[in-house]
Amino acid sequence: MTSSGQINKHNTTPEAEHKALPEGYGTTEASLLPRDPNWMFVYWEITENSKKEARKQHGEDIFTKGRQVIRVYDVSDNGGSRYFDIQVMHDAKSWYVNVQDSGKAYCCEIGLVLPDGAFIGLVKTNTVSLPAGRVSDVTDEKWMAVSADFDKLLQLSGVEYIGKGSGEVAKSLAQRWEMLRAVFSRASSWGVSSMSSQTLHQAKPAEKKFWLVADCELILYGATEPDAFVTVAGRKVTLNPDGTFSMRFALPDGIVDLPVKAVSQDETDSREIDIKVTRATTTDGK
Amino acid sequence: MANNEKGYLALVLHAHLPFIRHPEYEDFLEEDWFFEAMCETYIPLLDVYERLTAEGTDFRVTMSITPPLCNMMADDLLRERFRRYYSLRLELAEKEVVRTRNTAFYEVAKMYETKFRRIRELYEDYYHGRILDGFKKFQDLGKLEIITCGATHGFLPLELRKEAVHAQIKLAADDYRKHFGRGPRGIWLAECAYNPGDDVFLKAEGIRYFFLETHGIIYGSPRPRYGVYAPVYCPSGVAAFGRDMESAQQVWSAETGYPGDHRYREFYRDLGYDLEYDYIKPYLHQDGVRRNIGMKYCKITGKVQLNEKAPYNPAEAREMAASHAGNFMFNRERQIEHLEHFLGKKPIVISMYDAELYGHWWYEGVDFLEFLFKKIHHDQQSIKMVTPSEYLTMHPDNQVVQPSMSTWGDKGYNEVWLNGTNDWMYRHLHKQVERMVEMANKFPSAEGTLRRALNQCAREVVLGMSSDWAFLMTVGTAKSYSTKRFVAHTHRFNGLYEQIMGNRLEEAWLKDIEWRDNIFPEMNYRVFSTEETQKAAKS
Repeated sequence: MTSSGQINKHNTTPEAEHKALPEGYGTTEASLLPRDPNWMFVYWEITENSKKEARKQHGEDIFTKGRQVIRVYDVSDNGGSRYFDIQVMHDAKSWYVNVQDSGKAYCCEIGLVLPDGAFIGLVKTNTVSLPAGRVSDVTDEKWMAVSADFDKLLQLSGVEYIGKGSGEVAKSLAQRWEMLRAVFSRASSWGVSSMSSQTLHQAKPAEKKFWLVADCELILYGATEPDAFVTVAGRKVTLNPDGTFSMRFALPDGIVDLPVKAVSQDETDSREIDIKVTRATTTDGK
Repeated sequence: MANNEKGYLALVLHAHLPFIRHPEYEDFLEEDWFFEAMCETYIPLLDVYERLTAEGTDFRVTMSITPPLCNMMADDLLRERFRRYYSLRLELAEKEVVRTRNTAFYEVAKMYETKFRRIRELYEDYYHGRILDGFKKFQDLGKLEIITCGATHGFLPLELRKEAVHAQIKLAADDYRKHFGRGPRGIWLAECAYNPGDDVFLKAEGIRYFFLETHGIIYGSPRPRYGVYAPVYCPSGVAAFGRDMESAQQVWSAETGYPGDHRYREFYRDLGYDLEYDYIKPYLHQDGVRRNIGMKYCKITGKVQLNEKAPYNPAEAREMAASHAGNFMFNRERQIEHLEHFLGKKPIVISMYDAELYGHWWYEGVDFLEFLFKKIHHDQQSIKMVTPSEYLTMHPDNQVVQPSMSTWGDKGYNEVWLNGTNDWMYRHLHKQVERMVEMANKFPSAEGTLRRALNQCAREVVLGMSSDWAFLMTVGTAKSYSTKRFVAHTHRFNGLYEQIMGNRLEEAWLKDIEWRDNIFPEMNYRVFSTEETQKAAKS
């Protein structure tokens, strides 16, 4: 059983069959689960009885005039009981909570914020400690490494693959193969081909028995949101429907500079990656 | 040759399938997952271990056989159904050898005939239908270290109650003792999902080590002095070994791309579709729908359409597997030499894979492993293959580090098992665990029918906890089957709970559920009690 599939963006809803399960269990309670260094999942149930109780204590109209919120507390030792609120719909029963600081302990309280700012807590969750998601600042005297060594050690340990479970690795490789195939079948957006430019037209030297020709070309590829505007070295690139793109260039000796720039469709966000390639060819001149 | 090595290589294979067994149907599609893996991975691996041992080739491999898999391998009904499965394949293969004579497919048809005959021979004559005995034999010889896994591959970081964590570990360790005659020394935490602190429950069962994805170690605190190339001790004293990504990549990498070589077997051309319908029909499921039957006659060939694939040449593919094994070994030698120089210490490289990658997904993968074992034994001196236990015996002095929460899933944490497709499950799962704990505490020494009902409740809870259901919902394959399974176990649990608490048990219904969900025949529901859990945590 392969255990590391990847999250499929087109598969985001549960199978309808789960509706056969009870909506709730008749107890007011809330639970908090860790998802990753910056995200948690909270689910809750607040029974009619608990709501009645709250109305009795705080006023009949609190559920109409109050906003339902999730109050997120930083309960780490040095958190100083800081909190922030997330407003949620009254019929919500679960939520994904995003926090800025990883590596801390959190708990949530579902409640109401009244127009005057007063908070009425309805139910509290357990506490969750999120992972830091980065290299620890703590070093160990007995086992200390020189810090430059540690950077190299991180590289050797495969720090660049973090979060790429084997399924993710397989996916990225599959995408890469797809791109290469697209390039070779000339189905790519740009269709740049230098295949005919030099190498294959270099005729085999007739008078010599032994011979060698070799050349090198460059394939650039990438992916972004399908509706983004992408340029490579200032030229517009047409994206494939899934947001991937690839180009094949002749690669002469010297330095090739290929700045890749993507701008989001609403032009509020952009990313740049600059790739420089150096080629130096030497032959023995025979 | 002793002590000339520059470092160690531990090959770790994770063999797991969810518990799928449907006595209520004569013929059940998803049971094929188990039969295919038996024919393509588990029995071929035993075949390799048999041959290496007979030849006197020393080797070391660490392999999880998860409790659900152990329970399926030991189950009478599935053993009978497996016999039916391979017998039908063998019958077809024998017919095929006649049909393909003087065609380009003769060699590959012969290959399947030989293969299924060997499966029958190993399964019946060597192991008498009990293949766990086969694995045990190599463990007792010191070549194979079998490790366990959570009772049903439960995903521990998303459990709220420590009783659930304790139950997953304790049931697994007891099941292991039953099958292998001693306690487990190591464990594969399902999905390599680690929640700091859960290691105390491993310690309580005498488990000395577990495995983590790379960042579980390198994001640990304090900083791990040797990265993933030496184990660390959790504060509890249980050792954690980290995954080496370079060797993981080697098998998957685009540049060397072992499984994608054009000489290897093409997965998507299958006799279930290729042969004339009336001829193949007896080998399909009862519904008569064409599906893969696991016999494939073509090689990957290259970038051509499926109908242009060339005939598979078994000898050529085996040669390629040997060459890839040589490449893999060469890269490990260089890696280990480099690391030894850089670290000033003999590194241990942990190469971890799903077992089913070898044989099932990558057909020649089992040959690859056999060549790799042989080459490492005969052709080099830098690498010594070890099991984690052997390493810890030789190198007991390791740094104490608290590893980070982590998994081997996409993005490295819990999202594969907690997202919009499956987050609805946890409300129900956690309620079941809470109720199970409540009952285990309320009835410290139940007897008779009540005891049976409580044990069955415990079976239903642990079956619902399998990480497989959430995983299958995420990847979208078998989404409806996995949803049905989770819902069914939840219903059965809730029904029993109400009957127990209302003191109105219906024995006929209980009997029916016991017959359907018979995992862990020796279940003791008290593993969910708070008292036992606290005792284990303090041990």
